[in-house]
Amino acid sequence: MSRHRKHRLKLRSLYVWHRYIGLVAALFIAVLSITGVLLNHTERLGLDQHHVQTDLVLDWYGIHAPQTMTSFKVGTRRITLFGHHLYLDTLELPGTHQQLIGATKFTDYIVVAVDNSIFLFTPQGELVEHLDGVDGVPSGMRSLGIDGFGSLVVDGGHAIYQPATDFLKWTHWEGDAKAIEWKQPAPLPGPLYRALVEHYRGEVLPVERVLLDLHSGRIFGRYGVWVMDAAAVLLILLSVTGIWMWLRRGR
Amino acid sequence: MWIRLLLFTAALAVSFASLARGTYQQPEDFLQDTFAGKVPQPQVVWLRGELKTEVEKLLGHRYPSLRVRYWAQGNRSAWILEEVGKDLPITTGIVVDNGRIERIKVLTFRESRGWEIRYPFFTDQFKDAALSGDYQLDHRIDNISGATLSVRALIKQARLALLLHQHIGNNSVPP
Repeated sequence: MSRHRKHRLKLRSLYVWHRYIGLVAALFIAVLSITGVLLNHTERLGLDQHHVQTDLVLDWYGIHAPQTMTSFKVGTRRITLFGHHLYLDTLELPGTHQQLIGATKFTDYIVVAVDNSIFLFTPQGELVEHLDGVDGVPSGMRSLGIDGFGSLVVDGGHAIYQPATDFLKWTHWEGDAKAIEWKQPAPLPGPLYRALVEHYRGEVLPVERVLLDLHSGRIFGRYGVWVMDAAAVLLILLSVTGIWMWLRRGR
Repeated sequence: MWIRLLLFTAALAVSFASLARGTYQQPEDFLQDTFAGKVPQPQVVWLRGELKTEVEKLLGHRYPSLRVRYWAQGNRSAWILEEVGKDLPITTGIVVDNGRIERIKVLTFRESRGWEIRYPFFTDQFKDAALSGDYQLDHRIDNISGATLSVRALIKQARLALLLHQHIGNNSVPP
């Protein structure tokens, strides 16, 4: 076999390898390029602000609704602590909280006792004021109730307290404790539960996280990272074989 | 040797940042200090109508609640306000006397960076500051490198306290 023929066969074989490597790498190049371009413009596109809503992706990430929830009826509406998020019906209220102690309607406000604080909301869910110790809220609150005169009372553990109607002053409450209707948690209706699950799951996973994981391969676990590393090696091979062929053809 | 030094520096930085966060003074104590143990009854100012618009213009966003609590005696008023620095709210106590800032104190700082704003070398700059015509402070406040967002938040709180003090017309508050 002549030297020239050997050279042509080698070049042909290299060309075939180059083609196959290119074919395999094409998918990875597309994924890396698209996710890379998007990640370069994370802030402008608001990718860190938008959250994934797709059940398939959320399930893949193992994002499930919390098991713990407490809900109180407030007239025809509901105040629910779902995980650490507080909801008026399906409207998420500000902040993260540990324990929902009680909720009731009083004058024009929806009064919500969480942790060591009391939140006053309008019926539309706008925050009127956040009250805590400095504002006279008793520490160690146990429950909220309405006394026989329709006034709000708070069980502070060792005593019962009552705020003025504008919540600017708190006093010891005295009277017949049997007449107080203490607010009790109530089971969450099925449709509201499903709506909250959907809302909760849809607020957890930013689009940026998924793009980062796609870019690095972590979306497929630790093996995904190796696959992306292999793709990087393929890209290097592709460039090496390409340059090699270009140099050989020149001879 | 270098790795140990690096690890030590990193651990020191982390512990320093976590120490910097926290509550430096309870709001109750701030009020006790301000009114020498005789804290007046609280009052509220509702953010409605023109005041609401002015507050939004000053802050660049809505104030998180519809009403703000304050404590006033004579021409002095004390405010405990919250404003987000980068991600979390900074709780600050501000005392206004005759339309000028008497004292400003960071009560709770929750973020990992920018805690230098709590030191008197920074907060003392606010003393005697008043509002100019366009809701700006009439004093120049020097920035702290690396704490720009916290500095901005504190300046906004100072301007807000001055605006609210102006609004309540402190002359009507009994001494």
